Amino acid sequence: MKRTVWILLAIGIMVTACRGGKDRAAEAAERKVNIYIWTNYLPQDVIADFEKRTGIKATVDTYDSNETLLAKMQSGVADYDIIVPSDYTLKVMVPQGLVVELDRARLTGIDNLDPRFLNQKYDPGNRHSIPYLWGTTGIGYDKKKIKEPVDTWRVMFEQRYAGRILMLDDVRDAFGVALRLMGKSINETDPAVLRQAADMLKKQKALVKTYDSSDFANLLAAGDVDIAQGYSGEIAEVVAHAPNRLAYVVPKEGGTLWIDNLAVPKTARHLDAAYEFLQYVMQPEIAARIVNGVHYAGANKAAWERIDPKIRANAAIYPPPDVLARCELIEDLGPTTQLLDELWTEVKAQ
Amino acid sequence: MSDSGPESDLRIGSPWPRRLLVSHGVLVYLFLYLPIAVLVVFSFNAARQTAVWTGFTLDWYRRLLRDGVLLGAVRNSLEVAAVTTVVATVLGTLAAFALGTLGRSPAGFRGQRATQALLMLPVVIPEIVLGAALVTFFGVSHLRLSLATVIIAHVVFSISYVAIVVRARLAGLDPALEEAARDLGAGAFDTFRRVTLPLLLPGVVASALLVFTLSIDDYVITSFVAGVGATTLPLHIYSMLKVGVTPEVNAVSTLLLAVTVVLIVAAQRLLQEDRRTT
Amino acid sequence: MLEPGAYGGGAVKTKGVKALLLPTWAVLGVFFLAPLVLMLAVSFRERGAYGGLRAMTDLTAYVRSGAWFANYVRSANPIYLSIAWRSLWMAVLTTVLCLLISYPVAWWIAVRAPRRWKNLLLGLVVVPFWTSFLIRTYAWMFILRGEGLLNAALLGTGVIHRPLELLYTPFAVMIGLVYGELPFMILPLYASLEKLDRTLLEAASDLGAGGAAVFRRVTVPLTLPGIVAGVVLVFIPSLGQFVVSDLLGGAKSMLLGNLIQNQFAVARNQPFGAALAFELTAAVLLLLLAYALYMKKKGEEVLL
Repeated sequence: MKRTVWILLAIGIMVTACRGGKDRAAEAAERKVNIYIWTNYLPQDVIADFEKRTGIKATVDTYDSNETLLAKMQSGVADYDIIVPSDYTLKVMVPQGLVVELDRARLTGIDNLDPRFLNQKYDPGNRHSIPYLWGTTGIGYDKKKIKEPVDTWRVMFEQRYAGRILMLDDVRDAFGVALRLMGKSINETDPAVLRQAADMLKKQKALVKTYDSSDFANLLAAGDVDIAQGYSGEIAEVVAHAPNRLAYVVPKEGGTLWIDNLAVPKTARHLDAAYEFLQYVMQPEIAARIVNGVHYAGANKAAWERIDPKIRANAAIYPPPDVLARCELIEDLGPTTQLLDELWTEVKAQ
Repeated sequence: MSDSGPESDLRIGSPWPRRLLVSHGVLVYLFLYLPIAVLVVFSFNAARQTAVWTGFTLDWYRRLLRDGVLLGAVRNSLEVAAVTTVVATVLGTLAAFALGTLGRSPAGFRGQRATQALLMLPVVIPEIVLGAALVTFFGVSHLRLSLATVIIAHVVFSISYVAIVVRARLAGLDPALEEAARDLGAGAFDTFRRVTLPLLLPGVVASALLVFTLSIDDYVITSFVAGVGATTLPLHIYSMLKVGVTPEVNAVSTLLLAVTVVLIVAAQRLLQEDRRTT
Repeated sequence: MLEPGAYGGGAVKTKGVKALLLPTWAVLGVFFLAPLVLMLAVSFRERGAYGGLRAMTDLTAYVRSGAWFANYVRSANPIYLSIAWRSLWMAVLTTVLCLLISYPVAWWIAVRAPRRWKNLLLGLVVVPFWTSFLIRTYAWMFILRGEGLLNAALLGTGVIHRPLELLYTPFAVMIGLVYGELPFMILPLYASLEKLDRTLLEAASDLGAGGAAVFRRVTVPLTLPGIVAGVVLVFIPSLGQFVVSDLLGGAKSMLLGNLIQNQFAVARNQPFGAALAFELTAAVLLLLLAYALYMKKKGEEVLL
């Protein structure tokens, strides 16, 4: 009995280890593209239009956190051709060899993009990615309930708003708030400073109604909370539905700027289709359609004219330069990640 | 199930007065069904999010039928659940039969403890461990994530449930029946097919339904091992929870509920008929 | 009842029957045991700079340095112990509440309900489970939130004047947990109560014991296997859960399930996550061992 089991185990492992499959070149030319993208980042009509124009069948799967994306990529067996990592996630993916170096000759559309978002620290020369959508992290609030002007993160630590506050359920976003109030960078690595920030967050916890990284805009709109930390696009959308009641602001201490980028995984099988998709999305009219559909700011300069004027004028979606100037990009903290994780556990566990 | 004793004075041995017992029971059932009722009722509500009833509409069902992504997720879930149920039920039933039959001899059989432990583990291991372990394993063995990997994962955690339920059923069977069949000249396979299996059937069916339910409902493990285009309903619902739930979700839940109830009732009917003809 | 050894072994081809176990062993061996062994190996490694595994060049040096045990040592940190403690309490509370709520219901169905209703009542207990767990939890959010159903009803009928803050509280989490586990307690209790020999109750009553005494001294001891089975089926999943406390509790508490999930999903510290997971598994296995030994003592069949 025992011997048979071992033999079967061996056979089983050998079978799973063998990969059949088509010729690599044939796969690359196949008219299919597998897209792995943030929820709500690609309007359905754009996908349909892409399929119609190019004849390429697009399968779209979604994720809601960079970590999910990273985990899938690190497993080495996900089968996507297009992914959309955020800035600091891309920075981590490049040295791990998870994304391909893009062939610039096939991406003429890059000329349409806003130079402000090109050539960033996380991907110098845009060798591995092209910027897609961007935004800020700030405060959404109810103007009717919060009588004073909201221009500082301090308001999220006020006793009088106890139980009406929402924080993002994300360690970097939460610590970012505390660090900014302390006048430090959101990418601080000094353990003493981080511990101070953790203490601030621990004291704040009693005032927080909920930590939520997905429903923050809806909860604000529904009136469950009066002050919510959140991402610009989604808050801008609920503000647009209730402009007399809700507002979005990036506090004077500064906030986070995030840029989500299109990239191609090393394991991508349909490279030609992937490049066609990238080119398609960089066309001004398509980029504008995407922005109009998802209410997030796009990194495409040539698309500006075609974007809905209401969106163009919305300071929450397209903040003025002075606001941008006080925003920082998140960077991966390497070994400090472990300390940060422990501190966040302490905050949540108390 | 053993027959309950003589219908003697039912007040005996009950620490609770009858009225209290009944009202407690009714309250518990109400508690169990409150979210379900809310789900079903509000799938017909015209408003999107509020608890206020603004009007009856079939709109969400119409939208559901046009929502290709959602329907695709439903199709995936059903596919996975169907395959998983068949495979897990067969494997689990065979395992339970083997364990039960061989376990009847006083010394047990070699590998009995190991098999029992093996079948216990998937139920006990936290889902997240299983999910992470599987995805690591698939990575190491270069097995691309897909719907097939989801099925494999579901089968892994389902076999045990089948084995447990069928085993319990088997334990309640009278071995004399099998012996009698054998005395009458039936071979081992025939005995299994015509005596044991029909007797086991309620247990097999019950465990199949259990596996089907568990598979349709699984989120954690599936989220780890799903590949391209392998989004199942729970995964899709989870991402919908991010975007903002529309009553489409209520509609799909109501429909699924209706389908499963029909399945159960049909299975019940079949079993009752079976019992009458056997 | 079943007598061990009553089965005539002669006609049974042992080898043939054993072969029936092979497919199960194959599937579970390859896709369950192998991945778990892999995870165990991972728990002895260190986290790499980007979240993978740190490359290990010299095995003997690594083992000798004690680094292989580092994750387990780290898990003994008071903060993690307090999380385990809180998870334990939550699981205990859930189990106790489930038991208290379920027993009368199981009693009612098994003993007091008319025969033809039994299957229906039992089926009704299980039906809610055929909706998605996420959806059911979301339905509770819908019911409990500020403008939710419950508050709307209470405000509308004038029972209260300001909405109750029910959602994002431990109360809401308890409701969600108990709700999800009730059938797992009701069913084993029912199974046990169904087999209860009514004549024993009669006898006790004839000897002069009142209802409560009969319950305490005859019914409960006789249904103890069912109680224990239910407790095991509810307690174990409750220990590792995290979705309910996230959704209904506002993600304000850190339980074992959250902690482990965090390591895999956010902190990208698979070795530490794996170590925690194995510790949880070990604790559960010990519990089950105790359960198995207890059942052996009572002479009853263990679950398998």
